Amino acid sequence: MIEVEHLKKEFRKVVKEPGLKGSVKSLFKPKYETVAAVDDISFHVPKGEILGFIGPNGAGKSTVIKMLTGILTPTSGSCTINGKDPAADRKRYVKEIGVVFGQRTQLWWDLPLRETYGVLKEVYSVPDEKYQKRMELLNEVLELDDFIGSPVRTLSLGQRMRADIAASLLHSPKVLFLDEPTIGLDVVVKNNIRNAIMEINRTEKTTVILTTHDISDIELLCSRIVMVDKGHKVYDGSLDALKSKYGIMRELVFQPEIAENFSEKDFIGGLKLGGEDLTVGHENGKWRVRFNSEKIPVKDMLSYTLSHIEAKDISMREADVEEIIRRLYKEGVGV
Amino acid sequence: MKRILKIYFRLLSQNIKMLMEYRIDFLTGAFSFIIDQVVGIGFIFIIFSQIPELAGYTLDQIVFIYGFSLIPKGLDHMFTDNLWSVGYFIVQKGDFDKYLTRPINPLFHIIAEKFQIDAAGELIMGIILVCISAGSAGVVFTPLSVVLLIVAIIFASLIYTSIKLGTAALAFWIKVSGQVTQVFYMTNEFAKYPTTIYSDFIRTVITYIVPFAFTGYYPCVYLFTGENPLFNIGGVVIVSSVLMMIALTIWNRGLKAYESAGS
Ligand SMILES: Nc1ncnc2c1ncn2[C@@H]1O[C@H](COP(=O)(O)OP(=O)(O)OP(=O)(O)O)[C@@H](O)[C@H]1O
Ligand SMILES: [Mg+2]
Repeated sequence: MIEVEHLKKEFRKVVKEPGLKGSVKSLFKPKYETVAAVDDISFHVPKGEILGFIGPNGAGKSTVIKMLTGILTPTSGSCTINGKDPAADRKRYVKEIGVVFGQRTQLWWDLPLRETYGVLKEVYSVPDEKYQKRMELLNEVLELDDFIGSPVRTLSLGQRMRADIAASLLHSPKVLFLDEPTIGLDVVVKNNIRNAIMEINRTEKTTVILTTHDISDIELLCSRIVMVDKGHKVYDGSLDALKSKYGIMRELVFQPEIAENFSEKDFIGGLKLGGEDLTVGHENGKWRVRFNSEKIPVKDMLSYTLSHIEAKDISMREADVEEIIRRLYKEGVGV
Repeated sequence: MKRILKIYFRLLSQNIKMLMEYRIDFLTGAFSFIIDQVVGIGFIFIIFSQIPELAGYTLDQIVFIYGFSLIPKGLDHMFTDNLWSVGYFIVQKGDFDKYLTRPINPLFHIIAEKFQIDAAGELIMGIILVCISAGSAGVVFTPLSVVLLIVAIIFASLIYTSIKLGTAALAFWIKVSGQVTQVFYMTNEFAKYPTTIYSDFIRTVITYIVPFAFTGYYPCVYLFTGENPLFNIGGVVIVSSVLMMIALTIWNRGLKAYESAGS
């Protein structure tokens, strides 16, 4: 469905030296520097998959999306979607895709939403009957009714995002590109949008590529993630694989019956572990012990704790994805 | 084609509805236009109160040229005003993205998005001046001259459009090119008067480089005298077509060079 091969995008930037002298100099003799925003990224996405595209700020996610949607021409490498080359085949290609950039609307600023959809209906040549049905469905999942008569410029961020997503789905695209579709939204609207994406993916087998900084989006929607950093791909695989590869950290939470009876040292000393592999903290009477489950099996940890401390409310948690990703962003990974 | 027209008129009707909302904007636009024209025409009358003829042309003929030149300017202004925004901010802000993700020609999309009612002032003023001065300026309307007049107006409008398009497209490389468009566009002021009153240098520039002379003076010479239609009218068609081809080439290359903006 989507084949991306050795994709690369370079931007030319004027390098300015600081100060007035530098500004004048760069005016007459500009110095250029090329930076590779995307450098040799390859991946394939089969039909019907929801792919999460993640990475720290400035990693190159939006740049990849722009190349996949035909907005930017790649410096080198190729992407083929449904057998088409976005930049070369632009007009035919964009008929089959939907695109949403969370950061800015693609809709006509002054047009009432209803009218906007009317124009898009013509732009995508959607037949009347299909259009009716489609609007009903989108209305239902995205709850557009409250603001469908208002001009786009008057919509709140959450309303506008729903409006944009509905617009991208109007022509039943085969592939949907969403660049930060949940940015700045409250939990209810986030949920609403996630449900819409899931619904469309389930019923129409729409392939979805989405970028996000919200890990819940990934956990709830994506079967697979591709992580990029500084223009390079650093991880490609399922979420579960990522968890089992890096998610060896566990967390034991409990509340001691008598608070004063022990200290952190009992844990660290007793288990002969420390540093990254074992940390103990407590707040509001609750203790949290984070440990590396490869160094000390969960079973041993539990029995050690139970034999030393009288505790209630014991629970064990996997380190969550957010934690893993935070570590990866911070430390970087080799694939 | 039917689809394209449908889209165009849908956006057009919305645009007109919008005008009702921004009525103040419209009124101030109309007001500043009237001031401009009063100054422009007043200037002609002041000159003619001193001299009976200007470069061999009578007052009526000068008024005719002035009025004629407003018509193509107004037509272009009315239909392609959004090209200014391309050069000033659409490309720079990365807002051009949205035109590339729709299955219609991005240039058509840009142009269809804005209908500039302010231009009606230029058009109406131009038509009035042409009508009141035509008889005494010695313009004879025959079927042939009317057809050539219409051809000249259409291609002259495209000269304006091409100059705006070609310079706006530079924004794809330099991000903001509105000022470049402005510099080129301003030379149209020269088109309102006979080129013979200018120095050779200016005449060459407005005939062959920024050929605004073909949007006013030359076609009028044909209408006054019936002379040299090949240059005076044919020239409009050729110059306009060549310019449009150059502008479209720059535009199409620009689309490939477009860098969007970080997001
Ligand atoms: N139009 C542009 N011109 C110059 N440099 C650009 C342009 N667009 C992006 N870049 C640079 O390319 C790099 C990648 O940017 P990109 O917008 O793709 O990041 P991102 O992964 O989407 O980040 P974020 O999570 O912050 O949205 C950045 O260093 C950015 O400065
Ligand atoms: Mg981004």
